Amino acid sequence: MGVKVTFVQADGVEKTFDDVATGQSLMEVGRFNNVEGIMGDCGGSCACATCHVYVTPEWQAAVGPADDIEVATLDMVSDLFKSNSRLCCQIQLREELNGIRVVVAPSL
Amino acid sequence: MEAGQVEAAQKTGKCPMGHGSASLAGVSMTDPQVMAAPGPFYQALRKDSPVHYDAKLNMWLVSRYDDIVTVLRDPLTYSDKHGYAAQYASGFFEEFKQILERDGGGFFPDVIKDDPPAHTRVRRLMDKAFTAHRVATLEPQITALVNKLIDQLVAKAGDGQVVDGVNDFAIPLTIAVICEQLGFGQLSADKVKAWSQAVTAQIGRMQNREQMLANAAQICDLQNFIIAEMRAREAQPREDMVSDLVHAQTEDGKLEFGEAVSLVRAMIIAGNDTTASAIGNLIYVLATQPEVAKTLQESVDDDRLLNRFVEELLRIEPPVRALAKMTTKEVELGGQKLPEHAHVMVLYASGNDDETQFECPRNFDLNRTNLGKHVAFGVGVHRCIGASLSRMEIKVVAREVVRRLGDIKLAIPVDQITYAPTVAVRTIERLPITFTRRG
Repeated sequence: MGVKVTFVQADGVEKTFDDVATGQSLMEVGRFNNVEGIMGDCGGSCACATCHVYVTPEWQAAVGPADDIEVATLDMVSDLFKSNSRLCCQIQLREELNGIRVVVAPSL
Repeated sequence: MEAGQVEAAQKTGKCPMGHGSASLAGVSMTDPQVMAAPGPFYQALRKDSPVHYDAKLNMWLVSRYDDIVTVLRDPLTYSDKHGYAAQYASGFFEEFKQILERDGGGFFPDVIKDDPPAHTRVRRLMDKAFTAHRVATLEPQITALVNKLIDQLVAKAGDGQVVDGVNDFAIPLTIAVICEQLGFGQLSADKVKAWSQAVTAQIGRMQNREQMLANAAQICDLQNFIIAEMRAREAQPREDMVSDLVHAQTEDGKLEFGEAVSLVRAMIIAGNDTTASAIGNLIYVLATQPEVAKTLQESVDDDRLLNRFVEELLRIEPPVRALAKMTTKEVELGGQKLPEHAHVMVLYASGNDDETQFECPRNFDLNRTNLGKHVAFGVGVHRCIGASLSRMEIKVVAREVVRRLGDIKLAIPVDQITYAPTVAVRTIERLPITFTRRG
């Protein structure tokens, strides 16, 4: 069974996708569906910070924190960094994330 | 730029003068003085002619950051495939291709330079091999390799011989790393260097026919080596990247043999040449800019600062200075109308130096809040796949060199430093240095 995910683009437009397959990253969902601001240039390698999102407060606990390697990549865009920043290529979709809502960070 | 100037500028809150002005009249990117010190040329381009026709190259030079990103974010209008094909073995392509077909097992176009969607299919397969997390696990073995090479440098310098930061260190190091990854055992550094230069020359626009023939022979040798390694793994798979590629399945079937040859070739070349250039640039900067060496000294025990040091080095001295694209339709860029099939040269080095994006761009500044915005690795679908590996190699070198070597100085006058004759990369050819031993 798939999950529901919502991206809020930097321009305020909300894009919701129902019944998204688990086992892929949130970046892949955003990129495949042309969510503005989700580029995923490095293909999910945690190397480019072009899939930067802010996880909404109610989802932060379920999503969890960034690891050291992700934090290092986020540090390269420190002007856009917030305490709820994540690179969404590092968020693997699973059933507990059904309904997740993230705000897309402004482009680099 | 002198250290004193930088400090004075920082105190008054103003930038140093930058590169100084340059005139564009009658000047080409291929002119030797521009090749050696391109900063003023880039600055003049950005200011006076941001999409500039270089008559000698017959190419449009794109120099402003925003225009560079526009080009790189639109890979179907600004085609890598067509730009690369137009550039490749420029002037001698048919003869070059025949030589490879006759003596080198075939002519295998670079799949990494294909356009979407063909490119996407292969890229997705390759991304998995180079994630930041996988590369992080390589740090101990890369550190060991770096220290082994520093041991050799120290021994050689101890014997009173001149030490070459490029040929005795940067090149053998990056070759050793990529060989280990691919599963080749240890190849001779001279051989891989010759292969790399032969391949890079094909997009450098600066080879004559005699050089093309010599380079083609090198590329045949490289391909015959690769094909033999692949055939061996077809029969008997091993735990290495070449084996992975030989047996790889993409989402729509098997990777073709020619595609796999081109990928292994690309990894041997891209995996060492650009990173070696970056490490050569690092040593050059440490030897010539004491304030940067001091910054590194102060950052060496802090992983965050060290990561920032590497990123700022890549911004301020990007190894790849320019790559070619070709328009697939008429398009307007930066106020300039470009016809269909226009040859476009994207000046990454100028984008990184764009004062509208990076405040005081010639200042080496670890505290930039937009460090990751530089375009040294490119942008978009062709962004460097080996970025994490490259960063790791440069970081380990920066850390270990500063811990073990002190007072690095050039052993020749700075105006005797020469760069490889290609517009594509900025690669120091020879870097004689002296240093003291630390600890």
